[in-house]
Amino acid sequence: MALSPFASRSPSLTVASPNSALRLKASAVPRSTGQAVAAKAQSNPERELTEQLNDDVRRKYTKGHFRDDPSSCVAIKKIKVNAEYKDGLTMDAIREVKYLQELSHRNVIALHDVFSSKDQNLNLVLEFLPGGDLEMLIKDGDIHYGVGDVKAWMGMLARGVWFCHENFVLHRDIKPNNLLIAADGEVKLADFGLARSFADPYLNMTHQVITRWYRPPELLFGAKQYSGAVDVWSMGMVFAELLLRVPLLAGMSDLDQISKICEAFGTPTEENWPGVTQLANYVTDKAVPLQGRDFFLRQFPTAGPVGADLLMSMCVLDPRKRATALQVLQHKWWTAEPRPTKNEDLPRKSGTKKMGDDLARRGGDNDDGPFKNAARQLDFGGMK
Amino acid sequence: MASQDSRGEDEVCPVCKSSRYLNPNMRFLINPECYHKMCESCVDRIFSSGPASCPVAGCRKTLRKNRFRQQTFEDIGVEREVDIRRRVMHILNRREEEFDSKRAYDDFLEQREEIIANLVYRTDVAKTEAQLQAYAQENMQSIKTNQALEEQEATSFHKKILMEQEEARMRQQIAREEYENERREQQATREDFLTRLASGSAADVAAIARDGHKVHLKKSSARRSEEERIRQKQAALRGTEGKRTGTPLAMGETAGATSGAGLIKGLRKIKTPEPEKPYDPFMGLVPGKRDYYTQLESYPYAFLDKLRSDTTVQAGGYDLQEYYSRTLLEAFAGLGCFVQEEVAQREATSALGISNPAATEGAAMAAVGKNAA
Repeated sequence: MALSPFASRSPSLTVASPNSALRLKASAVPRSTGQAVAAKAQSNPERELTEQLNDDVRRKYTKGHFRDDPSSCVAIKKIKVNAEYKDGLTMDAIREVKYLQELSHRNVIALHDVFSSKDQNLNLVLEFLPGGDLEMLIKDGDIHYGVGDVKAWMGMLARGVWFCHENFVLHRDIKPNNLLIAADGEVKLADFGLARSFADPYLNMTHQVITRWYRPPELLFGAKQYSGAVDVWSMGMVFAELLLRVPLLAGMSDLDQISKICEAFGTPTEENWPGVTQLANYVTDKAVPLQGRDFFLRQFPTAGPVGADLLMSMCVLDPRKRATALQVLQHKWWTAEPRPTKNEDLPRKSGTKKMGDDLARRGGDNDDGPFKNAARQLDFGGMK
Repeated sequence: MASQDSRGEDEVCPVCKSSRYLNPNMRFLINPECYHKMCESCVDRIFSSGPASCPVAGCRKTLRKNRFRQQTFEDIGVEREVDIRRRVMHILNRREEEFDSKRAYDDFLEQREEIIANLVYRTDVAKTEAQLQAYAQENMQSIKTNQALEEQEATSFHKKILMEQEEARMRQQIAREEYENERREQQATREDFLTRLASGSAADVAAIARDGHKVHLKKSSARRSEEERIRQKQAALRGTEGKRTGTPLAMGETAGATSGAGLIKGLRKIKTPEPEKPYDPFMGLVPGKRDYYTQLESYPYAFLDKLRSDTTVQAGGYDLQEYYSRTLLEAFAGLGCFVQEEVAQREATSALGISNPAATEGAAMAAVGKNAA
């Protein structure tokens, strides 16, 4: 890590605009790994737990704020120590901490700090993103959005992915569910539990990554050496889902997913993808010819011809011919009409659901947070 | 119009020499080109078949029929000045809100009067006209908006006047009705009082009289409070109306575009919104920027030869470019970092009392950049 290539001031990138999130990070967190360990214990009392956000099986999100600034909000993700996992921390926790602390970008969720609590659970202090996720927006029938909105969201997603790739990190779990929305409407790449850095030559990577509907064909065929192209495929699937408002390829199993891909885009063969037959899990059922440009034009008329071209370049079967994240951002669709919607004009999640949330809670439920047995106290922090 | 009649029967058309005595319906018309007066039948006769020159001896102006109109003022000089004034005011219609200061506005008014005077007394006519035309050309937009504003103001003012008149009329009517009611009631109570007196015994006289007086008082006080209520309601109504008519006046401040326009000094600078920058997909970051090296397509390295020929790896999409990029960046990552300079920089900033880590970081980065260059 000492020679970390993903340092935020890597010489490969010049940051033109000072980012407020960045500054917060700089002032609040000792950035180097060595210091972070030392800072864990001290930084613990820096935040006060105020409100429980969300329940997960292994993870618990709590809302907190910096002690010197009660108006600031952070989400604290508590990762429970797994009883069955004897070798220390789980992989996803390590991955999340390892890559998030290095990446600092507007479209990547910010990790402010990490600390461990008394029961040796790991707590990640993350940026608080109250806008829900893209999946909620896609599924909410009351929300209507247009091409400009899709372009804005895709632009933010593509920037986040490109930044990860530029710093040699594969996200490997891109899906609408993991694209969180900040209070100002900015989309942020979250959940780096499956992330890893680009592999060295001859080093095998696992192909059991990425949620199935967003998994590219090379992973379904069991490729062990792959590139950033896997994230681009997922990005293309998200793009298609944003346009159609239903998942494009919703396979029931891995095999079903392969056949769905073949039906939609054509069957991978030696002609269109040299060497594909030698991949470990290569199977085909029937030979569908490769789909041309007119298929995308027909299927995604809302994106327009230029948008369909971009989507097509992201959904090429052969990962070598697929566009890279950089090429995606260099596409002319971004500058074509209509202009991407400004963040403040983007559709938001409707607040009604949130209001009913506490009503759905059963009477017997009680939160077993760290202050379970403590008497409730009035919080005057907000009045400062 | 009255002036024409006052001239009496001896008025004669200078063109056809027919007099009012022979033609009592004769109307005189003038044309703002030369202001020569002639009768309606002459205008019809001479100008019906298109433009023609003025029939008055010595005047060679070409006149058109549609420009002929009736004279408003008896003095033809006044008529002409009013015309000129109207035309100039129409073009130089800047408003006080558009000027930086009262002084600038006053200067503008003076300048306008000067132009009018020039045109009226025929001094420097050609130059002044040219100025005026140039200004009108340049400021077409703002002239139009100001005209629209003026019209709006005029109509809203007219409406306000009408409303006030209506209100006054209503008030009068209400007052009249009130008076009538009171009178009627008074009469009724008196009659009632009298009938009761007539039917009652002599002993009750005092009691009846007191009663009658009380009833009268109660009624009048009730009426008065009712009136008060109505008046308040009307006042409130008037307040909102007043506010509503007030808005178009305030709008004037935002209107008016185009810059200074040579002729008039001291105009307020109008900020035009900056045009939107084209969308930058990278949001300010520069892709693929390397400070110390350029990456080649391929590097001869025996270690990688087996990988290059391995179709399985190739089919999986493993990208050697990514590997090159990463290893090269890692190899060059330490270059350009001069710890001593960074420490010196940090000490310098801490001596200044700046303890902002972001600033130190920025300074360190700047130092690195300088060394790189």
